[in-house]
Amino acid sequence: MGPAARTIISLGVGGLVTAVIIGSTLVTSSVAQDNPPGVSAPQVLLSRQLLREADVRVGDLVTVAADADGSRGVSFRVVGVYEPTPDPRKFSAQRLEARLHLPDLMALTEEAADPASADAVSAINLALVDRGNADGVGAAIARRVPGTRVASTEPSADPNDLFVVLDRFHWAIAIVTVTGSTAFLLALMVMRAEQRRDIIGILRLMGVSSRSILFEVLLEGLLIAVAGALFGVLLAVASQGAINRFFQWRFDTTLVFVRVTAAIAWKAVAFAVPLGVAAGLAASWTLLRRSVVSLVGR
Amino acid sequence: MTPIVEGRGLTRTFPMPSGAVTALRDVSFQMAPAEYIAITGPSGCGKSTLLHLLGCVDAPTSGSLLFEGRDVARLSESDRSRIRLTRVGFVFQRFFLLPMLDAWENVELPQAEMGAGLAARRARTRELLDYVGLADRARHRPSQLSGGEMQRVAIARALANRPALLLADEPTGELDEDTGEQIADLFDRVHADGTAIVVVTHNPVLARRAKRHLVMKRGALGADR
Amino acid sequence: MTSRALAWRTAAAEPARAALAIAGVAVIGALLFDMLMLSQGLLVSFREMLDTSGYDVRVVASDVFPARVDLTNASEVAADIARLPEVRQVTIVRTDRAVVLVPGRAPTDVALLNLSPGAERQGWRIVDGADLGALGPQESAAPAVISRQLSRALGLSPGSPLPLRALASGAASALPIVGFTVVGIADFQFENDGPYVLATTFEAFQRARASVSSDTADVILVASRPSIDASATVAAIAGRRRDVHAFSNEQIVERFNENGFAYFRQISFVLSTITLGFAFLLVATLLTVAVNQRLGQVAALRALGVSRRRIASTLVWESALLVGTGGLLSLPLGWILALGLDRILRDMPNIPDALHFFVFEPRLALWHLALLAATGLAAAVYPVWVATRLPIAATLRFETVS
Repeated sequence: MGPAARTIISLGVGGLVTAVIIGSTLVTSSVAQDNPPGVSAPQVLLSRQLLREADVRVGDLVTVAADADGSRGVSFRVVGVYEPTPDPRKFSAQRLEARLHLPDLMALTEEAADPASADAVSAINLALVDRGNADGVGAAIARRVPGTRVASTEPSADPNDLFVVLDRFHWAIAIVTVTGSTAFLLALMVMRAEQRRDIIGILRLMGVSSRSILFEVLLEGLLIAVAGALFGVLLAVASQGAINRFFQWRFDTTLVFVRVTAAIAWKAVAFAVPLGVAAGLAASWTLLRRSVVSLVGR
Repeated sequence: MTPIVEGRGLTRTFPMPSGAVTALRDVSFQMAPAEYIAITGPSGCGKSTLLHLLGCVDAPTSGSLLFEGRDVARLSESDRSRIRLTRVGFVFQRFFLLPMLDAWENVELPQAEMGAGLAARRARTRELLDYVGLADRARHRPSQLSGGEMQRVAIARALANRPALLLADEPTGELDEDTGEQIADLFDRVHADGTAIVVVTHNPVLARRAKRHLVMKRGALGADR
Repeated sequence: MTSRALAWRTAAAEPARAALAIAGVAVIGALLFDMLMLSQGLLVSFREMLDTSGYDVRVVASDVFPARVDLTNASEVAADIARLPEVRQVTIVRTDRAVVLVPGRAPTDVALLNLSPGAERQGWRIVDGADLGALGPQESAAPAVISRQLSRALGLSPGSPLPLRALASGAASALPIVGFTVVGIADFQFENDGPYVLATTFEAFQRARASVSSDTADVILVASRPSIDASATVAAIAGRRRDVHAFSNEQIVERFNENGFAYFRQISFVLSTITLGFAFLLVATLLTVAVNQRLGQVAALRALGVSRRRIASTLVWESALLVGTGGLLSLPLGWILALGLDRILRDMPNIPDALHFFVFEPRLALWHLALLAATGLAAAVYPVWVATRLPIAATLRFETVS
């Protein structure tokens, strides 16, 4: 018994389908099945989300139309399902997508009144022999085909690029957070230093030099700061999993929202440790400058 | 006459990681109103533990304690707190004055807790600071007072709500001999004014001022000296 | 002495600690306030931007907004809609992308704009020079009204020549350069695709696109009559024309809220939550350390008969003083911080001048203070528990011996 034929009318209605032009070599689906013998319907891959939304199974026959009213629909065989490449610019959008062979898509979307539409594409992706020559290739293409927009996939150096701006935004947030927590850290260090006023006074009475006490404070601060920084990194690593899982569930995507890399961890430690040590030193400094009598007296 | 405090078979055991420690063993104790009792003994014999039980600060592991005829074990914590506020005054070895309040405010604090009106509090606080000889130091903070002065403020605070019983735990422990004498004199006055006093002390001068002298040894109370 | 007075005296006795704690709360509170503003700011700003444009309905070719296909027969559609009794005014908007090629300057991308005649006053406000129509019919160059930013970037003024080539997407050919003359410089009133805008007449627009015979448009803007609700106008248009789709401003805002603004909603939620958690941890830690430093005092007060309730209320007041003072300071600090963060985010491409990410609403200040108050209360729970449950005798003993 073959798979039940399902008809999807007007996948173009409501903009549910974004047909992505790819060649068959770029398929990244899970299971792809050959057409059963005698069935000549062209093949289509559906995104996991569309498969679920349209209640379709692999092997089903569906109708795909580029027109909003569903006219000029063509039957396709669903031969596989794929996970859409996560796109941070579309993370909140429902990824209701289908992938067709290029000739099938072009046949589907061509306009009788516009001969050029049979040979029109949205974009062409290039893999360069020399990846470092993206600018040169782009310039050459612009000369040969004026009016073409050429963009490299390398992270943009444009300070107004979306992700560059967001990076600045995140840094600003981080700086504010660190400033606030530094104030609290200093408050705690001041309390701690005051708590040890008697001990420091006794040590000074016994003849222990300010320098030795300062070194001890420094060492202690360093140990606490390193332990705290490492704990913070571990906490971040542990919570990144929870954050990613939550938002991947929330937006039904495989996009990774938070990633703690080695570079980020080192940056955090490099920031936190000197800050912790400096806070401890700053808080103890006034005590060490006071006279011994005032330290042990009430 | 109902004893102000009556304890029967008081035992207090503290669980420790290395094994339970019995600080009080089957102690029976009775105190009449306006009595003056000194308790002495070596360090760790349970003197302070007994004091804490008498002041309803701690509860015995076994035995019964009656305060002015009321079974302390049957009282709620808020009732015991009320007893401490209105019927008992505490004086500590380390004074435990609030450092951010001056002498006047420290003495006034228990009265405010009891709900006394402003005029009554002012009158009583002035009276007490006069009583302990510190009227001219009323607006000084503890950091500006000597050890003896701080202890006198602490005594004034303990007497703020006219307690029936004053409990003093090593009140002269951090003071020199002369200052200790001054505190002893003050306790004599307090006793003469009708307040019962139990003082735990190593100071023989202070111990001699009391009318009863009890010696504790290894958690047990010996005969009156 | 009241608990509040006692709390104040405690804080005043350690001014450095109190000042630092308040500063910490103020900074973290400022971030929280900003995240609250961000959570709805874009939506509020976008809605305001749409509403102040003077139009309450937008008509496009497809049922998604923004539309991906052009409206065809735009003039006929606009005239048909204008005949509806619900409609006061109709404006056709045509836009395209172009490149201006000023000698000695790098090619500059601009948004090419055309509005129906008569709608210019709502589209832009002339700040220098004249409006479209200033050039006589004998002039060969097409008239252009350009944005202030474009005039500054390229050093243009009224009378400057401006060669322009429209960009034809999807076509393997280049459109010819068309000569424009700057007749005026303006501030453009409503949403635009970037800061560089060039508005021109319909004829010049068509000439630039080499599409003299086509009558396509991006969107038709509709203003309802004063007594008519936008939803009624949408329904009337849907009833009259089945080949187009009408959206009220509210519907557009809703669609953008679901998709385009999702990132900012999410980040504001995440950061608000983290900030509150942060503030809670920091205040709780500070109070707990403070209580631990004063255990002897607390035990002595309990021994003297001071009730648990009094101890608890004093600590709650201490928390309230720290968080309350810091919270009030965080409002002006947050406002200043928001200006900076807004400036950073507005560097993103294609953000209209009138759009802001952080928008102040009085209710947000109330929410902010309420959240901080709840955090301060919650932060006091553990230290209150420690202070009110401490074993009095054991603490006295420990404090005496140590």
